[in-house]
Amino acid sequence: MRSPSELANDIGVQYYETRLGVYDEMVTTEHKVLPYWQHFVNALETMGSEEIEHRRREAQRLLRENGVTYNVYGDTQKLTRPWRLDPIPLLISSEEWTVIEAGLKQRARLLDLILKDIYGEQNLLKKGLLPMELVFAHQGFLHPCQGTLQNQPIQLTIYSANLVRGAKGRFWVLDDRAQAPSGFGYALENRTVMTRVLPDILRDTQVHRLSGFFKGLSKGLANIALHNKENPRIVVLTPGPFNETYFEHAYLAAYLGYTLVQGDDLTVRDGHVWLKSLEGLQHVDVILRRVDDSFCDPLELRIDSRLGVTGLLEAVRRGNVAIANPLGSSVLENPALLAFLPKLARYFLNEDLLLPSVATWWCGQQRERDFVLQNLEHLDIKQINRRQDTSFLAGNTLSAAQKDALRAAILAKPHLYVGQEQVTPSTVPSFISHRIQPRTAVLRNFVVANGEDYLVMPGGLTRVAQDKDDVAVSNQAGGISKDTWVLAAEPSQAPSVLVQPNRLFLLDAVTEPLTSRAADHLFWVGRYLERTEAVARLLRTALLKYQDMLEFKDTIDSVALAALLHSLTHVTMTYPGFVNGPPESLEHPQDELLSLAKDGHRPGSLAANIQAFVQSAYNIRDLWSQDTWRSVDNIQYRWKLRVVNGEIVIEQLQSYLDDLITGVVAFSGLTSETMTREAGWLMLGSGRRLERALALIALLRATLVQRYDTAVQNQVLEAVLFSTDSLTIYQRRYRSFMELSAVLELLLLDETHPRSVAYQLRLLSEHISALPRDRSKRKLSEEERLIIKAYTDLRLSNIVDLLKISDDEGIYTQLEQLLADTTKLLWGIADTIAQAYFSHSQTSQLMTANIPPEDEP
Amino acid sequence: MKYRITHTTTYNYSQAVGLCQNQARLQPRNFWRQHCVDSRFEIIPPPKDFRELSDYFGNRLAYFAIQQPHRQLVVTAVSDISLFPGRQRHELLPQQSWRQVQHFFQETSGQNLNKQQLQTLLEAKQYVLDSPMISASPELADYALPSFQDDRPLLDVVSDLMRRIYTDFTYDPTSTTIATPLLEVLAKRRGVCQDFAHLAIGCLRSFGIPARYVSGYLETVPAPGKPRLVGADASHAWFAVYIPDLGWLDFDPTNNKMPHDQHITLAWGRDYADVTPLKGIAFGGGQHTLSVSVDVLRLEGDGGFGEEFF
Repeated sequence: MRSPSELANDIGVQYYETRLGVYDEMVTTEHKVLPYWQHFVNALETMGSEEIEHRRREAQRLLRENGVTYNVYGDTQKLTRPWRLDPIPLLISSEEWTVIEAGLKQRARLLDLILKDIYGEQNLLKKGLLPMELVFAHQGFLHPCQGTLQNQPIQLTIYSANLVRGAKGRFWVLDDRAQAPSGFGYALENRTVMTRVLPDILRDTQVHRLSGFFKGLSKGLANIALHNKENPRIVVLTPGPFNETYFEHAYLAAYLGYTLVQGDDLTVRDGHVWLKSLEGLQHVDVILRRVDDSFCDPLELRIDSRLGVTGLLEAVRRGNVAIANPLGSSVLENPALLAFLPKLARYFLNEDLLLPSVATWWCGQQRERDFVLQNLEHLDIKQINRRQDTSFLAGNTLSAAQKDALRAAILAKPHLYVGQEQVTPSTVPSFISHRIQPRTAVLRNFVVANGEDYLVMPGGLTRVAQDKDDVAVSNQAGGISKDTWVLAAEPSQAPSVLVQPNRLFLLDAVTEPLTSRAADHLFWVGRYLERTEAVARLLRTALLKYQDMLEFKDTIDSVALAALLHSLTHVTMTYPGFVNGPPESLEHPQDELLSLAKDGHRPGSLAANIQAFVQSAYNIRDLWSQDTWRSVDNIQYRWKLRVVNGEIVIEQLQSYLDDLITGVVAFSGLTSETMTREAGWLMLGSGRRLERALALIALLRATLVQRYDTAVQNQVLEAVLFSTDSLTIYQRRYRSFMELSAVLELLLLDETHPRSVAYQLRLLSEHISALPRDRSKRKLSEEERLIIKAYTDLRLSNIVDLLKISDDEGIYTQLEQLLADTTKLLWGIADTIAQAYFSHSQTSQLMTANIPPEDEP
Repeated sequence: MKYRITHTTTYNYSQAVGLCQNQARLQPRNFWRQHCVDSRFEIIPPPKDFRELSDYFGNRLAYFAIQQPHRQLVVTAVSDISLFPGRQRHELLPQQSWRQVQHFFQETSGQNLNKQQLQTLLEAKQYVLDSPMISASPELADYALPSFQDDRPLLDVVSDLMRRIYTDFTYDPTSTTIATPLLEVLAKRRGVCQDFAHLAIGCLRSFGIPARYVSGYLETVPAPGKPRLVGADASHAWFAVYIPDLGWLDFDPTNNKMPHDQHITLAWGRDYADVTPLKGIAFGGGQHTLSVSVDVLRLEGDGGFGEEFF
C-alpha cells in the first residue's frame, strides 16, 4: 500500500498508456522503461509530481519574463503568445544519435549539390534525373537567381529537417527546411531554461552541450563572407516583430552579436549592401536571413514585397554580399524532391540514403499518379507549393465529394501534387495535468556548414501535440515544445551547464552600429515611458483629491478636483473627457478615470501608453539586457492582469498606480545602469526629456495659467507639486507656504531640479549636440537651432514678468505664451530629429512604365 | 529592313528621389531574324552605377541606379536594328497535329534526345507551365476548344485561335490595366495587346502547348497625306508558339497577322512580368507622373501597315 502522500507525488509512470502499434520513446511494448531513460525516470519519481509541476511553472515564468514568444498569424489580439516548454525532455541515446547525425550530414551534402546544380548547369534536368516540371513549377525556383551562386565550397549554410520515428522505431525525415530554417534559437532558449529548472538532473545526466553548434554557426557565417573574411559585418534580416518567430531573430542577433535589421535598414549602393546607421552607411558582408527568398528583393523578385532590400540580388550577383541561405534555396523545400532523393544520392554521392524520407509519390509521373488516385484515402495529399490553407489534406478525412474534387484537381495539374504515406509519429512522455502521458512528437534538427563539411546540433527542438489524440504537431495550433537531450557515450563528458547567453550590456559600441530603426524605437520607448509616468502620477493625484472630496465634502476640494480632472484630459488629450464631457462627470469621475486607466483602445489612456511602450521596446528586443526586458514585461504583465483584464474598482487603482510608477522607475534605473553613453542612450534620453518637458508643460498650462482664489490655488499648487514628485523638495525649500511664483521657479526654471522644464531642456540640448552628425559644415543643425532657442527663451524669462497680469484677464498671458512657444519648438525638434536620423522610414514606390497614366495615384 | 527605335520614359516627381534602382529590358535581343546593330542608353541624371547583363530567358537587361537626389528621370534607349522577313503562313507546311505536340511535351523526359534537342525541349517545357500572370484553366480551355479540332495541325489551330481572338475581342485601352486578371479579360471580351497575348498563351497552355510572351514594337505608317508623327508609336506585345520541326513561330492576335517585317522584338518570357520594359523602385519622390514616347523610324525599305491597323 502506498501512503496518501506518496500518491500525491506519483507521476504515474505505471499508468503511462502507450498506443497500440505506435512506437514510444520511453517504454518498450512490454511496458518496460528503456535503459537510457531509467536514470531520468528515477530522478523524476524521486522529485514527485508536485515538484515537477512547480518546475514546469517556473519554466513558464522564465520564458515569459525573457519574452520568449511565438506569434500566430492573424492573432492580433495576442501579439505575443508565450512559448510553452514541457519540463520532460526527449532523450536520444548515443547510438541512435550517431545514425541521425550521419544521416543529416549526408542529406545536407546532397541538398547542397542539388541546389548548386539547379542554379548552375542543370545537369539533373538535362540528364532526366529530375523532371523539368518538378523544378520549373515550384515557386521556390526563382529565375533571376540562376547563375547567382558565388564560388563557395558549400552553398547551403544552414539546413534543418523534421524527423519522426515510425512504428518500427526507425527515424524518417518528414520534410526539409532549406531557405531560412527556424527553431535553433528556441532550442537554445529551451536548454537555457532547463538548466535553471532541472539543474540537478541535467548535471547528473551526460548531455551534449549546444554551444559548439553556435560557435560553428558563427564561424560558418563568417566563412561565407566574400570580403573582410577576418572581421565581416553580419546582420540578421527579419521581417519584423509581426513575424511568428521574431523572438528568435532578436534572440539570435543578441546571442551571436549581430545587428538585427529589417529590409529598409539596408540599402544597396554601387552594388554593395549597406546598413543605415546613425553614424552613416556601414558595409554589410553577410546576411543571415529570416525573410523568405521571394520577398528579399522587390526589384527582381516579388515586386509587392515590403520586407526586402531593393537591388539585393544584383549585389549578390556581383559577389559583394553573401546570404545564408542563398536566394532561391527554397526550391529544395519541394516535397516532390523526396521521391527522387535516393536516386540523386546514388548519382552524386554513390551512397544510399542513411535517413529515409517519408514515402512520397509525385503525381507528375503516370504510374505514381495512378497509385495516388487509387489510394487517396490512405495518403496525405500535398501541393508542392506551400500555401497557408490548402497545402495539406489527409485523405482519410475527406468526404466523397471532396475526394472527387481533389482527383479532378490532381488530374488537371498533376505535377503540382504529391501523395505521402500517413505516418504515425512515435509518442514521448510529456508532463500534462500532473502526470506523465504519451504525446505525438516531431523532432527538428539543425545542421550548419563548417568548412567543407557539416556540423549537426547535438540536440534539437522537439514539439509535441497538445491533445492525446492529435497526430499532427504544429506551433500554429498551439503545440508544446521540449528540450532534446542527446546522451553522451563517455561518462566523462563535462556537465552541460550553459552560461546565460544574453548580452549584459545594452549596446556593444565597438562592433554594433545603431540602425536608424533602432534609434527611432529607442526615442519612442523614451517618449511612451514618460507619458506613462506622467499620466500615472496625475491620475494618482486626481484619485487622492477625489477621496478628499468624498471625505470632507468641501467645495474648495471640488473646485480643485475639477481643475485636476480638466488637466488630466488636456495632458492625455482624451477629449471630450472632463473638459467638454457631461458636467456630472466632474462630480462622479470614477468611470472616466477607470477608462483612462484600462481602456487600451483609447489613445492617450494609460493602458494604450503602456501598450505602445512595450511594443516599441519589443521592436528592439535584441538591445535590452535580460533584467531590463524583465522590467518591461513586469510593467505590462501586471497592468494587464490587474487593471485591463481585471475587475477592478476605483479604490484599488491607487495601489496599482503606485506599483506601476515603481516599475517605470525601475526600468529607468536599469537603463541608466546598463546602457553605454552612446547614440542609443542619447536617443532614449532625448525621447524621455522631450516628452517629460511636453507633459510637464501641458500640466502647467492646464493648471497654473488660470487664476484661482487663494484657497483653491493653494490646493492646485499642492496637487501639481505632488503630481510631479516635487512636493517634498518644495516643502524643504519654502516650508509650507504655497506660492505660485515659488512653484513656477521650481518647476519651470530650476535647472538643478530633475523634474523641472529647464532641467529637461538642458539635458535635451546636451543630448542633441552629442548626436552623431556631419560636423564639417560648421553650421548648426535645425534641431540644434530649435533647442537652443527653446532653452534660451526659458532661461531669459523671469517669474515677475510671467506673472504680470492686467485685471480684466483670468489668465497669466505671458506665462501661457512662453509655454505655448516652448511646446511648438519641442514639436519641431521631434520632427527634425525624425527627419535627420530615422531615414529607414522613407517610403519607396514602384515605377513601372506600362501602367497607363490614368491609373496613377 | 532597317529601323531606328527611340523609346523614352520620363518620370517627374513632386519631391526629390534620393535613390532609385531600375531594371530595363529596352535593348532588342538578337536572334535569327533580327540583328541589333547598336543600342545605347541616354539616362538623365546619369547613373553612377550601370551594368548590362542577360536574363534567364536570354534577353538583354540593364541594371542602373541613380544615387543622387533628383526630381526627374529620363530614360532613353536608341536602337538600330536589321530585320529579316519572318516566315509567312503560306510558306509553312502544316506539320504535327496539336495532339502529337501535346503528347510530346507531356511524356518526353528527354532521355533519348541529343544535346541540341534536349536544350530545346528544356527551354520549351517551361513555357507549358503556369507563370505569374497566366494560369491554365477550364475557362480558357473552353474558349479555345473550337480551335482544337481533332487531328488539326497545330499551326492551323493557332492561326484559328488568333483569328477568333481578333474577331471576338475589342481593342479598348480603357478596359484593363496590367493588373486585370486574365479571366476578367475573357469575360469582358475587351483588352489591349498584352491581354490578347496572355489570353492566347493561356489557351494554348491549357492544352499543354508551349507558348511565350513577346514584347516589342510595331512600325506604324500614317494614313496617306498625313505627316508622320514622331513619338506616336507604342510598345506592342504578341505571342509565340513552339512547333516541333518549325521552332518558335510568332503570332499577333491584336492584328491577326503573323509578324513579317514590321514587328521588332525586344524580349520574350513566360508573360509580361518576365519582360517588363522598365521597372524601378524609387525612395522618396512623393507623387510621380510618367510619360512614355516611342518612335519607330524606318531607315530603309518601303511599305508598312496603315494607321488604322491598330
